[in-house]
Amino acid sequence: MASNRQIKAKASAITLTSVMLLGLLAGCGGNNGNNAAGNAANTGNNANKAEDTSPLTMTYFSADPNPNWTGMQDEVGKVLTEKTGVTLEAEFAVGDPQQKVALIAASGEYPDLISAKTDINKLVDAGAMLDLTDLIEKYAPNIKKVLGEEGLKRSRYSDDDHAIYAIPTYAGVDNKYFDAGGGFELQHRAVKEAGYPEIKTVQDYENVIKAYLEKHPTDENGNKNIGMTLNADDWYMYITVTNPAFITTGSPDDGEYAIDIDTQEVTYHFRRPAEKEYFRWLNHMNDIGLLDPESFVQKYDQYKAKIATGRVIGLIDQDWGYGDGEKALKAEGKLDQGYAHFPVTLSEEYKDTSFWPTGFMAGNGIGISVDAKDPVRAIKFLDYLASDEGQVLINWGIEGKHYNVVDGKRVIPEDVNNRKYNDTTNFQKETGLGNVGSNYALLSAHYGDGVLDPTGSYYTTRFPEQVIAGYNKVEKETLAAYKANTWKDLFPSEDEFKVKPWGAAWNITIPGDSEIVVLDNKLKDITWKRIPEAILSKPADFDKVWDAYMGELDKAGVEKAEDLREELVKKRVKLWNE
Amino acid sequence: MKADTVTAPIPPDTRMRNKKPASGGRFWRNFKNQKYLWMMSIPFVIWAFVFSYLPLWGWTMAFQKYKPARGFFEQEWVGFDHFRTLFSDSQFLLALRNTLAMSGMGLVAGFIFPITFAILLNEVRLGIFKRFAQTVSYLPHFVSWVVAAGIVTKMLSSENGLVNDILLGIGFIDSPIQFMAQGHLFWGIVTLSDVWKETGWNAIIYLAAISGIGPELYEASRVDGASRLRQIWHITLPGIRPTIIVLLIMSIGNLLNIGFEKQFLLQNNLVTDYSQVLDLYSLKYGLGMARYSYGTAINIFNSVISVILLFTINGIFKRTTKESLL
Repeated sequence: MASNRQIKAKASAITLTSVMLLGLLAGCGGNNGNNAAGNAANTGNNANKAEDTSPLTMTYFSADPNPNWTGMQDEVGKVLTEKTGVTLEAEFAVGDPQQKVALIAASGEYPDLISAKTDINKLVDAGAMLDLTDLIEKYAPNIKKVLGEEGLKRSRYSDDDHAIYAIPTYAGVDNKYFDAGGGFELQHRAVKEAGYPEIKTVQDYENVIKAYLEKHPTDENGNKNIGMTLNADDWYMYITVTNPAFITTGSPDDGEYAIDIDTQEVTYHFRRPAEKEYFRWLNHMNDIGLLDPESFVQKYDQYKAKIATGRVIGLIDQDWGYGDGEKALKAEGKLDQGYAHFPVTLSEEYKDTSFWPTGFMAGNGIGISVDAKDPVRAIKFLDYLASDEGQVLINWGIEGKHYNVVDGKRVIPEDVNNRKYNDTTNFQKETGLGNVGSNYALLSAHYGDGVLDPTGSYYTTRFPEQVIAGYNKVEKETLAAYKANTWKDLFPSEDEFKVKPWGAAWNITIPGDSEIVVLDNKLKDITWKRIPEAILSKPADFDKVWDAYMGELDKAGVEKAEDLREELVKKRVKLWNE
Repeated sequence: MKADTVTAPIPPDTRMRNKKPASGGRFWRNFKNQKYLWMMSIPFVIWAFVFSYLPLWGWTMAFQKYKPARGFFEQEWVGFDHFRTLFSDSQFLLALRNTLAMSGMGLVAGFIFPITFAILLNEVRLGIFKRFAQTVSYLPHFVSWVVAAGIVTKMLSSENGLVNDILLGIGFIDSPIQFMAQGHLFWGIVTLSDVWKETGWNAIIYLAAISGIGPELYEASRVDGASRLRQIWHITLPGIRPTIIVLLIMSIGNLLNIGFEKQFLLQNNLVTDYSQVLDLYSLKYGLGMARYSYGTAINIFNSVISVILLFTINGIFKRTTKESLL
């Protein structure tokens, strides 16, 4: 490598190719040729000349679906291809990505770019992922800048393996939350009719639904209105059924475990006594007929279709979960059948933990596989996305088309904004931009919401003014009634909690051969079977079912799973804080 | 006469000569005579070898702690460990029970319905109606299970589901039944949806077999005064018996390989105790967790049982009905 250094900066095609070859062979490209281009990426033109923008198709796998992906044929995608020469041939996991990732690992044929979330452990075990440390060092000044030293430290794989296999893409650096998309949801018309009462506990929530249904048992066509419905299809089970159990009882989201902030003692969260009471409440809701009896039977599309009819008064979900259904309502102008968010807890003593801070959550992100045809081009593509220019492009779109610069600040024209919020799907397919996340938002390292770029505008389009501008009139009406500007104002804010030094347990990668994998799955199988059973049982039988459930957990080795998990958490704390 | 005297003594002679040299001689002669047939079959022999026998090498994985990146000799060998875990897992036994139950029910229904349907269709005189009914009945076969499962769940839904609406309409029940939420109904739902989807398709082969029965048999029986039921009983059914038996043997061999699409798509968390089948189990606990070795172990178990079943049933039929596959 040292000898390479002497061949200086001539970005001819030949040196470039040799660099690529070296990069392929050694996993750490030579430090020549593109060095100059790399250092000067921010200064623009003259360095860009050295960049190779010849057409290149890269395969890309993502563990998260992206229904509005157009194969980079949308407006932003075309510009991206123009600037970098790269076209992505994407494949998205359907349903549970676990199996798909395992299959990729076993097949030995890896896509160039892989975003596998925590399942990356399978690929790392198979030796499928490149260590990006050197590539980032040499070719990705923007990624380096965005992540900073702390971010890079946190990006390391594990305490035993300090390699960086994935550039964190799910978490925005220095992200601040301006809006809440979770909690418990109630239709605007229901809270309005109840006279905007204080909604803090499950009891308050129940009262609103009950009162509304008593007055309006059916919709205008005579179809029954539904009190509340849950989505238990596959992993959505976590989002609407099991996670709310800890969020409403004062424990933050650490996957299936509750971790003591001081001692880091780990408990399988269903074993917390408070959660039993939460499920008892759901059981009660079922008993009095407010819970949709189809909650555990319906598939995701049925769930969304049901919401789109406007007959469901209450939800316990995240906006991205029920969003498609609500979008349909908004498109029809039935704004009062959209949903307001409330930080509901089991009782007054608990705080909603939706915004318990985690620090920068490295972990889930995008990596380059050992099969990548051209790792240097790949990292440069990711680096372009992480550059100021790239981030503005994927978040704001094209100047003059999707935003204008007024007084040095980026402003989204009224008509564009309107479409973005009320015709989201079509708008996203056409432009690649969305109100929750653009098609390209999770491709590379990026700044979070609320971070200002050198021109004084925000990097993302989610900032207080924009969030508020995105609300429709009914949403504004409800918010005004609660004297809030955003839904988040209703929720306990970050500074009420102590930052978790391990981030979140759900994004700690588990060594592939660890026993936890099997244990977790067994526990999950039991839980997913028993929780619906407990909720749907007769109230008198609830305790019996619950005890049987606890017994089964014990037998399946829940304590061992807790111990193993605790070990992992402690290792993560060491890795991130050493 | 001359020809007779010449040819008559030869057969015993050739038989004698053929007995002495190794049977290879005859084989080669046969081979030479049928060389075109042999050549035509070569691609298929290769195909079978590549796709059915070569992968058997992968069975070694079941005895290793397999990791994708390592070479064969770098793998850690663990003997029968995976099988031991397998047989001690209650989930596996549950999956085995569900598999056997559903495939057993499917087997019975999958023979009774198509055969009955084929016979009924065969008795229909009106050609147009016959063809129409046949086409309509096998159309669902081309609907993918994803769509079919959607239709089934919608039909059985407690909210505006067709089945519940009908039952409520005729006053059979007072409140909608949650069909999909009840474990003990799951096997039945799977079997019935399979019947709906496949009856027409499976009837085709029986219809073909029926049309192969000589019309003179029917004519003769009619002369003897046999009613149509008699004709079905004494001519049609015995006529398609060989087909039935061959198909039966084959499906019993596949008893454990019922796939998982239907179960996977129709299940929900409330009925997993009844919906988990072996293939689903091996997907979830094998491949899904990157436990490739464990998945292989499940598959070996599957194959061994299938082979045993196949030979047993084949033997039974060979002895009792003199008709068999092998």
